Amino acid sequence: MDVTIANLSLHYGDFQAVKDLSLDIADGESVVMLGQSGCGKTSTMRCVAGLEEPSAGSISIGGRTVFDAAAGTRVPANKRNVGLVFQSYAVWPHLTVLENVAFPLRMQKVGKAAMREKALTTLRTVGLEDQADKSASALSGGQMQRVALARSLAMEPAIMLLDEPLSNLDARLRDDLRVELRRLQLELGLTSIYVTHDQSEALALADRVAVMQHGRIAQLAAPTEIYENPASASIAAFLGVLNIFAVRPSTGHRLEAADHPLELVSESAGLGDVPASVSIRPEHVRVTVDRDEQVDNAWEGVVEVTVFQGATARCSVRLDAGPVVEATVAGSAIKVFHPGDRVHVHVDARDVKVLPDEVPGIVPAAPVEAPRSELVGAGRAGE
Amino acid sequence: MAATLVEAPAEGPTPSPSAPETPRARRSVARRWLGSGLLIAFLAFLILVPAGFVLLASMTDSVPRPGNISLSPTLGNFGVLGVPEVRQAFVNSMVMAIAATLLAGLIGGTLAFLAARTDIRLPKLVYLVGLMPMFLPSYVGALAWSMLGSPNAGLLNIGLRDVGLPAFVNMYSMPGLVLVFAMYYAPYTFLMVHAALSLMSPDLEEAAQIHGSSTRTMLRRISFPLALPAVLGSAILTFTLIFENFPVAQVLGTPGGVDTLPTFIFRLLNATPSRGNESAAIAVVLVAVVIIATTLQNRVIAKRSFTTVTGKGVKNKKIALGRWRTPALLGVLGFFTLSILLPLLALVVTAGRATPYMTSIGDLFQPGAFDLSIIGTVLQSSSFLDATGNSVVVSLVAATAGTVLAFLCGYAVYRTTVSGRRLIEGISMVPLAIPAVVLGMGLLWTWLVMPIPLYGTLAVMAVAFVAVQSPQGFRGIASSILQTDRDLEDSAVMLGASRTRAVLAVTVPLMKVGLLSTFVLLLMLSMRELTVPLFLYTTDTKILSIAIYDAFENGGALRGAAAMSLLYCVVMFVLSYIPRRLANR
Repeated sequence: MDVTIANLSLHYGDFQAVKDLSLDIADGESVVMLGQSGCGKTSTMRCVAGLEEPSAGSISIGGRTVFDAAAGTRVPANKRNVGLVFQSYAVWPHLTVLENVAFPLRMQKVGKAAMREKALTTLRTVGLEDQADKSASALSGGQMQRVALARSLAMEPAIMLLDEPLSNLDARLRDDLRVELRRLQLELGLTSIYVTHDQSEALALADRVAVMQHGRIAQLAAPTEIYENPASASIAAFLGVLNIFAVRPSTGHRLEAADHPLELVSESAGLGDVPASVSIRPEHVRVTVDRDEQVDNAWEGVVEVTVFQGATARCSVRLDAGPVVEATVAGSAIKVFHPGDRVHVHVDARDVKVLPDEVPGIVPAAPVEAPRSELVGAGRAGE
Repeated sequence: MAATLVEAPAEGPTPSPSAPETPRARRSVARRWLGSGLLIAFLAFLILVPAGFVLLASMTDSVPRPGNISLSPTLGNFGVLGVPEVRQAFVNSMVMAIAATLLAGLIGGTLAFLAARTDIRLPKLVYLVGLMPMFLPSYVGALAWSMLGSPNAGLLNIGLRDVGLPAFVNMYSMPGLVLVFAMYYAPYTFLMVHAALSLMSPDLEEAAQIHGSSTRTMLRRISFPLALPAVLGSAILTFTLIFENFPVAQVLGTPGGVDTLPTFIFRLLNATPSRGNESAAIAVVLVAVVIIATTLQNRVIAKRSFTTVTGKGVKNKKIALGRWRTPALLGVLGFFTLSILLPLLALVVTAGRATPYMTSIGDLFQPGAFDLSIIGTVLQSSSFLDATGNSVVVSLVAATAGTVLAFLCGYAVYRTTVSGRRLIEGISMVPLAIPAVVLGMGLLWTWLVMPIPLYGTLAVMAVAFVAVQSPQGFRGIASSILQTDRDLEDSAVMLGASRTRAVLAVTVPLMKVGLLSTFVLLLMLSMRELTVPLFLYTTDTKILSIAIYDAFENGGALRGAAAMSLLYCVVMFVLSYIPRRLANR
């Protein structure tokens, strides 16, 4: 079902974790909230779940208002029919797998036989039907996460919330479960909000990604759009762009780095007085032994270090002008470039993006407003 | 927050969120205080009122009585602090507590090191020896040691004369007090230091060795400094407990004319006419010292984070004792003899000797001189059975009520965002800073004054125990709640259970072990509590600890006292066995 969040704010004491946040999610859509810890993404999700009480704003799910600060509407969490998969799994160790999954059905007062039938069907969906009578504490991490998922699926939630569900799993399992989650979400047409700090997870699972910074949504767009056109240098940095250089104020296409005697040519124009940087993805940086006069940006430098990564290799080049440029090169290039070699570095003007340092309106909280210790025990002051 | 989420009816006009004094804001404040307010009021009634009465009595001219609570202020009561006897009692308390703390720390710390980190023979036995004195209530230890070491008639002195030595043992003295306190309070240091030493991450020590230090240097520069907060924390705790202890000082100090502040307070209160206001004034000083010590302790514990206790139960490397292996074990057995074996023997001998007059240990082997039929007599005597029944009933009720109260408080503090959480925790911890003698006095006055007719019933005992033991209950529950991931309960709510149902279906079952061990802890504390009931008991509501104390104080019933003490030890041992069984499951 569709979800509408309007002007949501959440305070922990004096600290404002979520600031006037609005977000519409269409029926069947998967929105991923991406951001660093403390950006307010988990807080926002817990507000939707009903585990935190916002200080202002409203939330409605499938047209039904579940929270409205102004009107005083507060539907308790257990009456919202919202599924939540916790980062810690929260699978009850004192019950069996089947009892865990049957719990929401018991709460819905489903008859015994139907309850067992449905719980088993749901377990089959996640591939755990043969573990049904095992004690939940005997499961591995990946299995526990599947139980947690099945438990929420069994209640047929109006919307599914997932709080970093894969972060406690090891890398291999994480990749497998990621694909499976996306498959389930598409198959069942689940409306879902997924919270993560892992950008590749966000790009893989989202219809739209909401990048969160300091309690606000800094950019809301499709994964490809976010990847190709980050709205600010800090978002680009968070998405893993390694080459970001602050530039001096300018409105032209020739820009000067602020900290180094380096000139960059960009297809996009400078932003005038707005604090800005240029960003260059490492895969757009070409490293060669000979100079290519045709390219807009051609610099000289010395290889500092190369790291072999299989299909690709990473090559750090210290430019004569001062800064270090990171490049992703073909894996075989590792045999060509050695630390200390003099090389030429080339970047096309269209790959040099001029970005504002921050999205307008995104300001870090004042430094004194860190969550106070007494709040840690109470709510999740963290995110 | 979640726990207080209730569906509120829609309201009319929309107040601006920036104005704090809107009706909505005010109602939200009311909502946040609703649950906690009740708890705070209840705790205040239980704990703060008695404490307040003592403070009030110290500054007025008569103690609180039914229908007559004096409010005329005076500082005259504090004049008693200038009396030489009071100053002497203060000095005695200080000297005794400091000396006994140092000795207890030395004993407990050494035993902990031997048990946790060396290749001593029979390490499990060493561990038990370190722990065991805890299961013997300290005043039973004191009673036994008075039988062993009273001047002239003490069993040790009789034995010394038998072998032609002078009868020099005198437990009714400062050194006697220090020795007994040190032995029975050593387990506190032992437990804390043992935990610190055995949970210490071995990486830290291995790193020291990698970087070139010898075992000796590693212990001196790395291991002991890391255990230091545990040593300091337990030392301050031990100091507080000894400083405020009444029964041991009463049993061993009073006969020898060594007064401490608690015994002095008790004597003033029982003087004719009773000098309650002056004893309240001394009590205020006692509380002040304990508060200073407790504050220090909190500071020390707050700094403990650097001990990097991993809690993984990793096996640390054992340090070779070499030629000290046997002497160390002999030392441990020596401590066991002094703290457990000799006292129990003394109780058996005293219970079994047919005549109180004895010139030689050999007399015991005369026909008819030793018979333990007294134990059977005691077991059938109505006074013993009544007292045991009372003890069990009071302790069960107090432990049950205490556990429930602690759970409510712990839940409110750690799982909700209701207002006044700090206050709930604070009041629960207050009895830590108030010596039992003082709280007992306050509880007596409170329940004499209260219009609720509880005084003179077993119920008042249970109420008093719940108040006195609230810190231990709260701590037990708190650690258990903190170990239980709150997501587990929240997920039940997300899946459709109401908050109450989620608590009952998920949180309580998951905390089963924690709840049970808190219950057993409170049960044991109630069973051994002596000081507070001493103020509250009447002839109809004698409990076991009081019955033993009474029998001992009337010199004639010494055999009975010894026999009851032995039975009491058996009951305590059985009780102490239960939590270990639970923990092993």
